Amino acid sequence: MDGKRKESSLVKWLLIDISALFLGVMLLLPLGIVIWQSFKQGIAVYMKAVTDKYTVSAVLLTIEATVTAVIVNTVFGLFAAWCITKFKFKGKKLISTLIDIPVTVSPVIAGLMFMLLYGKQSALYPYLQKMHISVVFAVPGIIIATVFVTFPFISRELIPVLETHGTDEEEAAALMGAGGFTIFRKVTFPHIKWALLYGIVLCTARAMGEFGAVSILSGHLRGKTNTLPLHIEILFNEFQYVPAFAVSSILVAMAVMILVLRSVIEAVARR
Amino acid sequence: MYVELKNINKTYGDYKASDNINFSIEKGKLIGLLGPSGSGKTTILRMIAGLETPDSGDIIIDGEIVNNIPASKRGIGFVFQNYALFRYMTVYDNIAFGLKVQKADKKYIDDKVNELMKLTALEGLGKRYPSQLSGGQRQRVAFARALAPNPHLLLLDEPFAAIDAKVRQELRSWLKEMIEKLGITSIFVTHDQDEAIEVADEIIITNKGRIEQKGSPVNVYQNPETSFVASFFGQPSTIDDYMSFHSFEDVSGIEKAIIRPEFVKVSKKDEVQRFKSSASEGVIESIAFRGANIELKIKVNDTHIIAKRGLDEKEVHVGEKVDIFIYRLFVTKGNEVRLLENKSLVDDSLVI
Ligand SMILES: Nc1ncnc2c1ncn2[C@@H]1O[C@H](COP(=O)(O)OP(=O)(O)OP(=O)(O)O)[C@@H](O)[C@H]1O
Ligand SMILES: [Mg+2]
Repeated sequence: MDGKRKESSLVKWLLIDISALFLGVMLLLPLGIVIWQSFKQGIAVYMKAVTDKYTVSAVLLTIEATVTAVIVNTVFGLFAAWCITKFKFKGKKLISTLIDIPVTVSPVIAGLMFMLLYGKQSALYPYLQKMHISVVFAVPGIIIATVFVTFPFISRELIPVLETHGTDEEEAAALMGAGGFTIFRKVTFPHIKWALLYGIVLCTARAMGEFGAVSILSGHLRGKTNTLPLHIEILFNEFQYVPAFAVSSILVAMAVMILVLRSVIEAVARR
Repeated sequence: MYVELKNINKTYGDYKASDNINFSIEKGKLIGLLGPSGSGKTTILRMIAGLETPDSGDIIIDGEIVNNIPASKRGIGFVFQNYALFRYMTVYDNIAFGLKVQKADKKYIDDKVNELMKLTALEGLGKRYPSQLSGGQRQRVAFARALAPNPHLLLLDEPFAAIDAKVRQELRSWLKEMIEKLGITSIFVTHDQDEAIEVADEIIITNKGRIEQKGSPVNVYQNPETSFVASFFGQPSTIDDYMSFHSFEDVSGIEKAIIRPEFVKVSKKDEVQRFKSSASEGVIESIAFRGANIELKIKVNDTHIIAKRGLDEKEVHVGEKVDIFIYRLFVTKGNEVRLLENKSLVDDSLVI
């Protein structure tokens, strides 16, 4: 009995140690190195890299793409989750499978898809030109790619919550004469509030870090179509290690902020 | 007639949940919709409320066909099987919801909610959330919430199903009183026959998507019109060969006979019996104490029947041989049913 307990506590600590070691090597060490490297040549060099005009425009573009993706996907996610859980219709399975495509398809392929759809070789291209819309190698392309890559995140958070929630409360509200919007605001929204916020956080994190699809559509025009991850890659390829790490630290800081936000949301929602 | 259903059909996939339903209800009556699980009770209620659309047929409320009127415009109060209280609203806000939707005056809402909380004995619980209430309290909140917008028809789907036996009993009589006091036409669903008999002014019996019978509790209990209804009430014992019991008319083509416990007289061998010559011998297989009486399972003529004996009668034991006399029984042929009296009773009255 006692031996058994000792053994299980040994196993427990062994497992905990392995996990901690793994986390350390895989996560904390690299992150620490990013921070350390970016400050290696002193604060002044760091500040110079961070306040560089191209860095600032990359930060702004990243924020622009992220905010747009979050807004579009919040609206889309709410509608999709609502339709899938509240209505019965043909093709429901298909739609709910389609929603997952962006997470299963590699972002590079997503980028290529949009390239083919909006690029020079596309049948749409002449019309887009006529309307003076450029998608490829321009900001709209970056935004489209970001939206595409992140679009399952919010609906995927909402669907399970709405499914377990059922439709009774909504029916009860409808029977008392409430309209669709009132029902959503008063009955459904309080229920999905935390899941929605959580989905938004995930979506934001993913949108900020998006590299593959954006990389193909961006064309790497400095100061125009470079997002933070792309900017970091360019700096790195130009052997400007300190600026590359400095800019990375911005992205890390943003990610950490999102993580903290996530933990706060989880803690509050559990109460 | 206040509520009328005419030739209502409803299928889910290829399952007929409502099969040509016809019935009508008078204003102010409390109607019990009674039937086994899956017989289509909830479906009927949901169609009346407008939460489900019939495939064909008309639903008429207060002289108006409501088929194309959405649920939100029908002015019907509905108490759900699981209450469906708004869990992110307080008791007060739950009850006030319907009135707020109607954009009623603030003062009016406050008065009305307080009046209803008083009526349903929920005073002081206004600030609680549904998760902080007992089952019985939740039931009453659901009831108050449904009543707040002054519906002219109240539908209740198994209002007592989720409540334990003792509280249920209290709530039953409470609900009946309440509905009588308010004079609101109500339909409640139940699969509990005692509940229906006790509470309803009239009972509608459903089975496999059809209406089997409609009538007063006494009437459906005593004069079943179909074999289903005959075998639904009480604790029926079904036997194949009723002629093995003495002194019954031999009706041709009978498939089964149904015997209720109150149709059976169980006598000990040494007790004085009026109809000893028409009795059959049986053996007591098990005895169960049921509070007000004793329930016996008796093997007789190769079948089992359930019978009762009063607590004031002499004790019987498992394995004891007893005499069984059957006063009357229901015989069924297809869906038809007939009551047969024991002939020795008839002869007896002739002699006198
Ligand atoms: N949305 C649905 N889709 C498919 N079948 C359904 C649906 N709703 C009900 N049914 C079927 O219709 C039949 C009648 O269901 P209903 O809910 O009306 O029964 P009920 O009499 O209320 O039963 P219970 O006493 O168990 O509540 C059942 O066989 C059920 O499986
Ligand atoms: Mg039901």
